[in-house]
Amino acid sequence: MSEKTQPIEHLVRELEERAKELNCLYKIEDTLNHSDISLDEAFSLVVDAIPPGWQYPDITRVKLEYKGNTYTTEHFSESIWFQRADIKVNDEIVGHISVYYVKPVRDHDEGPFLKEERKLLNTIAERLSHFILHKDTFAFISELQEIRDVSSGNLKHKWQVVLDMLYKTDKPLFNTIIRKLLHNLCWQENKEAQKLLKDAGIEQKSKVDDDGDTVFDDNKPLKKKSLDNAAFVQSVIRLADENLRDDEILAKLQKWIYEDKCSGLVKAVETMETSLNEISEALRKYYPLLSNGELSPSIEKGLKVSLIRRFFTDQTEFISIAKEFVDINDFYDLTDRIILPSKSYGKLGGKSAGMFLASKIIAKKAKTSDRFKNIKIPKTWFIPSDGIMHFLHYNELEEVIEQKYKDIEEIRREYPHIVQIFKNSDFTSEFINGVSVALDDFGDCPLVVRSSSLLEDQFGAAFSGKYKSLFIANQGTKNERLSALLDAISEVYASTFGPDPIEYRAERNLLDFHEEMGIMIQEVVGTKIGKYFMPAYAGVAFSNNEFRWSPRIKREDGLIRLVPGLGTRAVDRLGDDYPILLAPGQPNLRVNVSFMEKIKYTPQHIDLIDLSTNEFETHKVSSIIKETGNKYPALKSMVSIIKDNHITQPMGLGADYETDDLIITFEGLITDNNFVPQIKFLLDTLQEGMRCPVDIEFASNGTEFYILQCRSQTKSKEIQPDPIPRDIPRKKVVFTANKYVSNGKVPEISHIVYVDPQSYYNVGSREELVEIGRAVGKLNKILPKRRFILMGPGRWGSRGDIKLGVNVTYSDINNTSMLIEIAKQVGNYTPDLSFGTHFFQDLVEASIRYLPLYPDAEDVIFNEPFFRKSENMLEHLAPEYKHLGDTIKVIDVTHAADGQILRVLINAELEEAIAFLDEPKASKVTSLDTSEYVEWQPSNYWQWRYKMAERMAELIPAEKFGVKNFYIFGSSKNANAGPASDIDLLIHIEENADIEMLNLWFDGWSQCLSELNYLKTGYTSEGLLDIHYVTDEDIEKRTSFASKIGAITDPAKQLKIGK
Amino acid sequence: MSDKNFNAYQMAQAQFDKVADILTLDESTRQLLREPLREYHFSIPVKMDDGTTKIFKGFRVQHNDAFGPSKGGIRFHPMETIDTVRALAMWMTWKCAVVGIPLGGGKGGVICDPHNLSMREQEQICRGWVRQLAKNVGPINDVPAPDVMTNAQHMLWMLDEFEVIHGGKHPGFITGKPVGMGGSLGRTEATGYGVIYTLREACKKKGIKIEETTAAFQGFGNVSQYALQLYIQLGGKAICVSCWDQKDQTSYTFKRDSGISFDELMKITDKFGGIDKTEAKKLGYEILPGDVWIEQKVDILIPAALENQVRGDNAVKIADTVKIVAEGANGPTTPEADKVFQKKDIFVIPDFLANAGGVTCSYFEQVQSNMNYFWTKEEVLTKLDNIMSAAFNAVYDTAVKNKLYMRDAAYVISISKVAHACKDRGWL
Repeated sequence: MSEKTQPIEHLVRELEERAKELNCLYKIEDTLNHSDISLDEAFSLVVDAIPPGWQYPDITRVKLEYKGNTYTTEHFSESIWFQRADIKVNDEIVGHISVYYVKPVRDHDEGPFLKEERKLLNTIAERLSHFILHKDTFAFISELQEIRDVSSGNLKHKWQVVLDMLYKTDKPLFNTIIRKLLHNLCWQENKEAQKLLKDAGIEQKSKVDDDGDTVFDDNKPLKKKSLDNAAFVQSVIRLADENLRDDEILAKLQKWIYEDKCSGLVKAVETMETSLNEISEALRKYYPLLSNGELSPSIEKGLKVSLIRRFFTDQTEFISIAKEFVDINDFYDLTDRIILPSKSYGKLGGKSAGMFLASKIIAKKAKTSDRFKNIKIPKTWFIPSDGIMHFLHYNELEEVIEQKYKDIEEIRREYPHIVQIFKNSDFTSEFINGVSVALDDFGDCPLVVRSSSLLEDQFGAAFSGKYKSLFIANQGTKNERLSALLDAISEVYASTFGPDPIEYRAERNLLDFHEEMGIMIQEVVGTKIGKYFMPAYAGVAFSNNEFRWSPRIKREDGLIRLVPGLGTRAVDRLGDDYPILLAPGQPNLRVNVSFMEKIKYTPQHIDLIDLSTNEFETHKVSSIIKETGNKYPALKSMVSIIKDNHITQPMGLGADYETDDLIITFEGLITDNNFVPQIKFLLDTLQEGMRCPVDIEFASNGTEFYILQCRSQTKSKEIQPDPIPRDIPRKKVVFTANKYVSNGKVPEISHIVYVDPQSYYNVGSREELVEIGRAVGKLNKILPKRRFILMGPGRWGSRGDIKLGVNVTYSDINNTSMLIEIAKQVGNYTPDLSFGTHFFQDLVEASIRYLPLYPDAEDVIFNEPFFRKSENMLEHLAPEYKHLGDTIKVIDVTHAADGQILRVLINAELEEAIAFLDEPKASKVTSLDTSEYVEWQPSNYWQWRYKMAERMAELIPAEKFGVKNFYIFGSSKNANAGPASDIDLLIHIEENADIEMLNLWFDGWSQCLSELNYLKTGYTSEGLLDIHYVTDEDIEKRTSFASKIGAITDPAKQLKIGK
Repeated sequence: MSDKNFNAYQMAQAQFDKVADILTLDESTRQLLREPLREYHFSIPVKMDDGTTKIFKGFRVQHNDAFGPSKGGIRFHPMETIDTVRALAMWMTWKCAVVGIPLGGGKGGVICDPHNLSMREQEQICRGWVRQLAKNVGPINDVPAPDVMTNAQHMLWMLDEFEVIHGGKHPGFITGKPVGMGGSLGRTEATGYGVIYTLREACKKKGIKIEETTAAFQGFGNVSQYALQLYIQLGGKAICVSCWDQKDQTSYTFKRDSGISFDELMKITDKFGGIDKTEAKKLGYEILPGDVWIEQKVDILIPAALENQVRGDNAVKIADTVKIVAEGANGPTTPEADKVFQKKDIFVIPDFLANAGGVTCSYFEQVQSNMNYFWTKEEVLTKLDNIMSAAFNAVYDTAVKNKLYMRDAAYVISISKVAHACKDRGWL
């Protein structure tokens, strides 16, 4: 025990010492950053600030000497125990700073002094050098300014004074300026100046070639001509005097001098060899000059671009936008909040870049609009992308990088181990110091550690949710908080090597890209309510609405997903919980209108941080409301009261949070005429600034509005518009659409369920209409998940008057990949479409796409013959609904179109969608691998399943169990199994078969395979096998699954029993 | 349009014709009752939020008011047709008559989709509807109520407009108002309790002691919950209830042979009648597939979820122990299942009668509003019990006397009552 506590105590002491040193440095920084402070004042303050930073402040004395002046602490006396650092300006020693101990103390690294104290003293000396340099330059520049400001009569005198002064103080600069003056005269076509230049410069011997053109002999070095400098200078000055206006000369001089002073920064930033640390240092050094804002526009732009490139990205689109909004000073502020490993050459990553740009756009607009007054950005610190490499290197973990080339099963198995290794690894003390400083800056508010991947902005790949974002409560002593934060950072680092992101990268051919991940440490927006911490509400907002629930809503009306508490529940689609959806451009057109809809589609749970357990937790909204009640900020504007089938808004005293039946509707917030217009304005502004639709994450503590993330909406893979090919032969097109098209990806479609509008309209009895709904529900269960589309007349999900559309509930359609409503005129009537309103939000949360078709409209193709002529598979798939064959048509696309699939491409930018017959992608790229060992690839989830089924058929003790035949069907047979698919087996057994033994046997397999699948994909299930037993009788009667045997479409495939 | 085209109005008329044949009604009575007495078709201009004006089509059908003011909901539906409204108005006439409350049948609607309308626009439609009909509706003429896509809020807008036009307070103009704004207590319980009141009477008639019975419930929504509560209160033992699981998108049956505790189950149930599986397991409930409720060896089945739940294919699975089916839901039984019931000699309390507690409570709301007075919940429920019990007994007696299936008997009694009322008034 004591062995363990010893180093900790030691560490604590060391950390305290570091904190003292940092405080000292801060104080000095603070002092020197006051631009109006005089040298005398500054030096006195600095001298006094030093002792508290040293180990024994009581006996520490300080002396600063500068140009003959001496500044000391009180009761100064010299001693033999001292250290000294030189103060240099332009490589010339101009003074010293010395620290004395007036009593003897125990020896450390440098006599009685610590090595850290030596470093600190050097830093202070360096800072003082910069300060003196700035002061000098400033004095110089302001002198220039004064000169220029004086009445024009004296100008001639003044610019010559300036030159004189330069000549005496800065010879190289003087020469540069003379040269620039000469060049300037030359550009103005001054003959004498041109001659002077020719004489002064390089004598270029020219000769005339055969064609009479002048050519230079470029193989010989040119001869340099010496010239009489004084005479040359005088000539230039005379020429300038004669040919240029005095005020012109003065202005030019000032500009050139200024540019020269900044050249160090330009040089530092432009070379890729300078580390971020050096760039920060340069920024710090030149800050006073920069804040003066007199850089020439071209230099300034160049600097900005270089800085953007170094800190964020090389992407030209980003740079061209960012340079409009970003000031060089912004980088100065930024570098203050970067935790730099020594010699960092990394970048801050996509997320950080988006945030940085958004904050600058807002800052710029805030100057002209009141709307942005309460918009804030949470305090954020950054770790550049190479932080992770330093971490790996420091812990000698480099071999982990090769992890990504391993088999995904292995990656998944080893991942928990890697997380533990990372968590038990160390950071450099320098890095820990940096994090410690950040932590002091944050205080003890909860934090979120988010990844900011370089890939995110490089390839348009959406990595959101692939890497970890960790919430930490950040409670306890400084040491506890520090180790919790470091722990979180290492865990986020480890997530780079997690199976899911690697799989995702493999699918997109990004594996070889060297993934370095930046980190953002952000304060969590919110308030402490009892033992909980959370924002009042949070959410995501999109410029473009890709889920329009009414034809009155335009795409650019946008979309907000709003939840109480942390925004995690708005970012993710959970399927069984619902954020409040809103189109900020049309806030009054709600998704959910009826009483039942309103209470069903409301957030049921809330994510928050429990400060007592230090955990990120999910609770029931209702219990949190009861527990926190009036203490929950803005709750009154978030809830509605349900009373006797009536929804009302809390008024006056508000709701009784203990007894009232409350649901989250955000009604008060939405109708207060502030929140929604503000978000709309914000989205519009960011979209205009970033020149593309954006999505943002936001949170509010009830009074202020914080933006947490901002990125281009097109970055999200799911809603990128598909290119619409123009050269598809007409006969291959199945349908097209050009109204109310919303972006979204549809996988390759193998089956179409088509409810014929005309026949549906002609159905004579309500019973039959109901039956059609049931048949669709059955097909939804049988057909391969997300590989079929449902097409039907009018309004899917009609209740009551089911003539208007097929009577289904969400569970009857939840496996489709797309829901299509056809507004086809029948007789003199065109059905009105529902836009999926009956289960709209369920569709959204499950990413099921919706598309309305208007076959009677102009310029639209609706290939009716395809639907009419293709063979109807209904009676094979669901024989009990055979009689509905006139109305329900199930088309096996592959069967109907010679192995082709249906491809649906959607492009909302063009308001166009097209569905056409196409070759399946998989068969184009890889031919089926039938070798014994099937190498894992994301796309062949089915192959090993098939392989395993074959193995089972080989091994099953068929005679003993009474098994006659062994079949496989469904997704594993059809080569379209997903990571969560089960293996459907059809076992033909004898009447007296031992079902119990069979179940036992398959159960063992099922669980093993499930485990195997988990290792491959991360999906857990209770078992992977779905076993169906059929007897001779079943086969004869063709009852449900038995009909699969020898079916025309999608038949079960027989596997060979025994070896 | 083809003849075999399904049409709700034609279906309602066909149903009427069948009963008219049983009752051997004369031609003029048939003609009068086959069609509505009055219909109003009108346009409602609305200034939309974007400044444009849109014209909405509105309807009100008063099918028959021989017994009293017409009563019926107002539907907002984008594909509303006059034929649907006519059919529904006719059904309201029969429904009020079967429980014997002094009201006629009506229905109304507006062709619109509230999903495409802001609340302000919906308010304008409500007010516009009342402006067009102010003279033809009212506490003594025709009393609207909420229906598809309309709720208490719409009713209050309509009431307000009506009162402004008439320059006085007429809370009895409309029902479905919130409690405290003229709504009635006991409305939430009314339908579920009504089911059990009729069940209790049925047990009496069949010589079954309800406290010795067991029952299985389908659904755990509003109707089923209160039916279950009262059934257990009366001493019955409910052994299972099935409900929809939102997360799994399927239904489950929660079964406990020792009997379900209502309070216990309500604590773990969400707003939509979804029961928490994990918590239920802890309380000793078995979690079974959703459709096994129908196979339980119980005395009573109460389908109180959706329509078409008891069909030919699953009715055959009903245990021989089952003696009574009380239809809490609307149309839970298909005609094929009816045949199975008849064959198995299962006694059915038809939906039409069993779930009439709702409309009866609407009537109570109207009565209280007209008196500008309100009753306690106990008063409401006692009165409901009286009406439901009387209604059940009347239908039962008719069924026994005329050897009719309960479902037919319910129609026979209500249509004959209305026919008599028309005759007595001298209309026929």
